[in-house]
Amino acid sequence: MSTEAQSGSAPHPNIFLPRPAEVVRAKQVTATEKHFTLKMKDGQPMTFEPGQMLEISVFGFGEIPIGYASSPTRAQTFDIVVRKVGRVSSAITALEQGQTLYVRGPLGHGFPLDKLRGHDILIVAGGIGLCPTRSLINYILDRRSEFKKFTLFFGVKTPQEQLFLEDLAAWRKSKDVEYHETVDRADESWKGNVGVITTLFKKVSVDPGTRVIICGPPVMYKFVIAELDGIGVSRNNIYVDLERRMKCGIGKCGHCQINDKYVCLDGPVFCFKEIESLEEAFR
Amino acid sequence: MSTTSYFLKEADFESFLEGLIKTAAVYAPVAKKNWFVFSPISSPKEVRLDYDLTILPPKKAIFPVRQELVAFGPAGATSSIKPEPRILFGVHFYDIKAIDMLDLLFRENNVDWNYLAQRENTIIVGSNIQKVSKRAFWATVGKGVKPHGHDAFITKLPNGYVFEVLTPKGEKLLASGKFKPATDAQVAEAKKVNEEILEKCPEKLSHGSHEIAAKVRAAFKSKLWDELSRTCFSCGTCNIVCPTCYCFDVQDNWNLDQVSGQRARAWDGCLLEDFAKVSLGAGACENFREHRGQRYRHRLMRKAAYLNDKLGGPACVGCGRCSAQCVPDIADPVRIIETIMES
Repeated sequence: MSTEAQSGSAPHPNIFLPRPAEVVRAKQVTATEKHFTLKMKDGQPMTFEPGQMLEISVFGFGEIPIGYASSPTRAQTFDIVVRKVGRVSSAITALEQGQTLYVRGPLGHGFPLDKLRGHDILIVAGGIGLCPTRSLINYILDRRSEFKKFTLFFGVKTPQEQLFLEDLAAWRKSKDVEYHETVDRADESWKGNVGVITTLFKKVSVDPGTRVIICGPPVMYKFVIAELDGIGVSRNNIYVDLERRMKCGIGKCGHCQINDKYVCLDGPVFCFKEIESLEEAFR
Repeated sequence: MSTTSYFLKEADFESFLEGLIKTAAVYAPVAKKNWFVFSPISSPKEVRLDYDLTILPPKKAIFPVRQELVAFGPAGATSSIKPEPRILFGVHFYDIKAIDMLDLLFRENNVDWNYLAQRENTIIVGSNIQKVSKRAFWATVGKGVKPHGHDAFITKLPNGYVFEVLTPKGEKLLASGKFKPATDAQVAEAKKVNEEILEKCPEKLSHGSHEIAAKVRAAFKSKLWDELSRTCFSCGTCNIVCPTCYCFDVQDNWNLDQVSGQRARAWDGCLLEDFAKVSLGAGACENFREHRGQRYRHRLMRKAAYLNDKLGGPACVGCGRCSAQCVPDIADPVRIIETIMES
């Protein structure tokens, strides 16, 4: 650029310039969700922490924020699951194997692994809240000895909305995780628990010293936290993974603010104690 | 005699501006009917340093209303950062303060060169306020935050201008005009002009920034927000005219060829209804600031409290643009803050 030549400055890195990733696997997993496995085209590994997120886009349609759905402990690829909701997610979920998705990331702060290691862990995932938490679930399973008792709750509205069916089958049998699942409304195929996710608390004993991670629809949080209060889990040991409208993912555009916090910078994972008094956090 | 202040005779003012126009794109206040706007100029005769207030703040010369970030096509994407040499001429001190805040905000955490590249290629010349706009309160807001980041400052005196050079970039401008060192008397007169104008500021805050920030924060759950915002249209005008607002939306646009296009950002406003809305699927959505009282409160919190620690004072410079432009006239920070302070 001529002006840069004049001023003698180095080219300016553009934080909005995404990098291409190849879709190495694309699988429609529910009526609205599609599971992608991606590989960076530049050959660089995607280095991230469980719970971090990235901005993904198809040019001409736009960008959306999404959590990593795979653990950084696994392979040179990474996973995301996209729900077809609007214009951008419709364009993304139309992609198939071999096509290109553009990504910017990793962004934000993920799960505080240092504060989770050496403790009992309970993950409460509702609906597609299982996608970002899967990055932590598989991380724990891959480094199982670093954590104590590991319990996982997964709830969906109907059996058809269950995701990661292969994972669920493995977790049901696994000795490394105490897995419990529920549906709000059963059908004939469903043999398991029926009821909202808090009904699963009756099935297990949760130690008050447990570190708890919650991710799900906004309405879910207050009911889960009421259960945890009853058990005596400190709110300092509860972590929530929040979703917001985001346009930049880098703390500029303003959309994801909760009072004076930026979900994209300070989160998306927050210690519940830090944000419990913020009115705009959960509604 | 000052070594950094110069004097320019009235008769030499136009040739100075002509000289500047030859070196860079010059943005200056010009008249549009009975309003003023910052606009690229082609002739010094257009410049109106006697403006009271421009419709939009001069930040638009650095952070445009719509800005291409990335160009895309079949071969991939390229960065659209292409700064050009610019001179922003005739900026009042309150707008200088606002640009200085944006400099910090676009630089912190993640450096955004889409802003900073143009900022570094922009020379800012401040000017004294000759006429005062009706809703201004710049004399009493954020008094601890001094104007900073500009390269020169020009003050109108009866027979010419005192031109204060503040940076090497500002010093370069001297080559474009017939400057003489200013006398001590001229420097003193310019100082007096800039001090006296502060006395003429029509609106006033009656408390300091710390006190205001604390009380505004403490009033988070007050009913006042709903009461004060009852007639809000959620139009976002207060955001759009604000010199310290920097929220934006990002959208992709196709070219007519349907294979290439741009990813661009455009000014956005937290008063707009869907600013914090997310889709959940199946037509459902969640709006984290659904009610206008919440959005109205969010803006004032951002201006008076949330950013104070970072900026050393409020993210408001007292230009009075929001006060003057708000259709139901409910956006005036002075009235909102005074109401809260008295509650």
